[in-house]
Amino acid sequence: MKIRRRTLLSAAPGLALGGALAGISPALAAPAALTGDTVLKPRSGRAPRIVICGGGWGGLTAARYLKAELPDAEVILLERNPFFWSAPFSNKWLIDVVDTGFLVHDMQRPANRYGYTLVQCEVTGIERDRKIVRTSKGNVDYDFLILSGGIRDAWDVWFGDDQAAIDHTRTHYASAYIPQGQMLGLKDRIRSFQGGTIVMTLPPPPHRCPPSPYERACLMAWHFKTNNIPARIVILDPKPQAAPIGEGYRTAFRELYPDIITHVPNARVKEVDPFNKRIMTEAGDFDFDDAIFMPPHQAAEMVFHADLIGTDAEGRPTGWADMHPRLYHANSDDSVYIVGDSMGAISPHFGHYPKSAHVANYIAKIVAKNIGERVRGQEVVARLPDNLCYMLVNGDPREAISVEFTYELGPDDLVHQTQIDIDVRTPDLMEEDFGWINGMFDDFVRV
Amino acid sequence: MARPPRIWISNETPAPGEVVRVRAQVVHVMESGFRVDAEGQPIPEDLLTGFTAMLDDALLMEWLPETAISQNPYIEFTFAARHSGRLRMVWSDGSGVADEAEREIRVG
Amino acid sequence: MTSYVSDMRRRRLLAGGAAVAGLAACGLWATAARAQASLAMPQPDSAEADRIAAEFTGGAEPLAEGLALDLPALGDNPAAVPVRVHVTEPMTEASWCEEIILIADLNPKPLACRFRFTAATGSADVAVRLRLIQSMPIRAYARMNDGRLLAVRQEITVAAGGCGL
Repeated sequence: MKIRRRTLLSAAPGLALGGALAGISPALAAPAALTGDTVLKPRSGRAPRIVICGGGWGGLTAARYLKAELPDAEVILLERNPFFWSAPFSNKWLIDVVDTGFLVHDMQRPANRYGYTLVQCEVTGIERDRKIVRTSKGNVDYDFLILSGGIRDAWDVWFGDDQAAIDHTRTHYASAYIPQGQMLGLKDRIRSFQGGTIVMTLPPPPHRCPPSPYERACLMAWHFKTNNIPARIVILDPKPQAAPIGEGYRTAFRELYPDIITHVPNARVKEVDPFNKRIMTEAGDFDFDDAIFMPPHQAAEMVFHADLIGTDAEGRPTGWADMHPRLYHANSDDSVYIVGDSMGAISPHFGHYPKSAHVANYIAKIVAKNIGERVRGQEVVARLPDNLCYMLVNGDPREAISVEFTYELGPDDLVHQTQIDIDVRTPDLMEEDFGWINGMFDDFVRV
Repeated sequence: MARPPRIWISNETPAPGEVVRVRAQVVHVMESGFRVDAEGQPIPEDLLTGFTAMLDDALLMEWLPETAISQNPYIEFTFAARHSGRLRMVWSDGSGVADEAEREIRVG
Repeated sequence: MTSYVSDMRRRRLLAGGAAVAGLAACGLWATAARAQASLAMPQPDSAEADRIAAEFTGGAEPLAEGLALDLPALGDNPAAVPVRVHVTEPMTEASWCEEIILIADLNPKPLACRFRFTAATGSADVAVRLRLIQSMPIRAYARMNDGRLLAVRQEITVAAGGCGL
């Protein structure tokens, strides 16, 4: 404080003297145009450089814990959005359980606090042979790269190259499962809905935050019920029944929203006509007044840019990262780690880890430790995450259900999953949910 | 994290004779006794073996779980609310009382 | 930078390469919790379930009506399959259900649980979650205070995966 005041005092008279301006004169030069060779961050010294693409739950956590693990490392976090918007609790935000300020956080202050570099830019390409990430602000080279980009909406699976249909659906019926701006539009759509049928599709598994579409249906239904809006919500679910916490949800649908929510199982999407508001599924065809469309989810574009998408037994792309299931780096490139929802299959016993914020946060910490071990030349220790989700099903009283997953390594050297559904909806689970998210925000973004 | 029993009651202020539905779930390992650890040693059985629900001094329901009951046992039951009282639920296992919970039922 | 990177590459080969190539050799899994193996074996047939049922009924033939069993079409999580059983007639202080047993025919121990009621209960309607080692018949028996016996039986298909037994 004292130093700053002194600087101001001494600088102020200096303004009158031309010579004092010399120190800041580069700011007066025209910004250089971006070329393919523009370097975003030149290297300074010999510290290892770890570049993280994506500043969500996984990326922000990885950045903090890498600096803790390797204080001398240069940690650069690349994020396209100007601020952090939490997808967890955004369903609750739709009915004002929390306000916008609860979900939205500045990212610069955690960067300053924990000592990593935050750059707002778009990742436009990844050249693994040169160990370079191309961005909208220039190229940045890395020793280790962490891809934590979340998911992409694979509209092309529904519409092929019909860009008009993709654009119309994306701009009118977005699910906001990739948050930020879409969430505001979704809330406006729900708040202004006057009645009629809303259809909601669930993607085929695996997809982001598996239990949350049902939570959203419940909270929308609660809004319509309490405001006497004659709305009907049709959940088109490709699975044979709602899951996880299926019993808790079935009970909520039946007891709390019997006239509003219809859950249609085995409703795999065959065709969508967004212009005539009609969707064709294997469980029948449905007309709608409004819709929340979730196309299949896939790994974020950056995983495709990096050419790290896996293939199945028939040689078709899986849409998810091809990665080591217990060390979390790409199978073909151990300098690239994949954290969070983009991660590929983990075990033949259960497939993917739940694509949840909790898992992204957990894996990010494990990857930070593993990179630390490698840089220090220590033995790399494989670690497994756990998972925890609370889902609000009633607006008044605020009653939640929950699911926990624990993981163990089996005698077959494969990861085994234990799932614990807490079906009984109670207010104390909602209180615990607040405890969980406040702990999480304090862990990686709220300073 | 503390994991108290999760209790849901359809109506804590029921009309006389109204059938009240209770759902309760506790966290318990329900070790089956069939499993062996990494060294091949059997893991001892550790099961929830009893649950009772009383309304004051009247026994409403007794449940005797065996190995087939899931981890973190869930029990749902109903009773006719003939008088007000304290609904007391007790879970027990081989080591004694594993969990307990109480709720006031006011018949009006 | 150059010297650092080459140095680090060499170290990475040592650490990362060993990790991928020889899992057991370097004790990679030291801290990963290990899932336990299970010696649980399904019953070969319904004989043990029949024995438990006969013990409950005393050999008498139960009524095929009056007891309802609600099971999902598919037990998507074999570690927690929801099962509800209830006596369909009204319970009174004169006529009530004393006990219900639930049997999972092919589980290692087929008797899943017992429920006991009293005249004070005024109802006989319960639900639990079962872990089922494979697809199998589920049955329930009830004994009323007047000695009547009720029975119900239904097949359930469960998804593949660990049931936790």
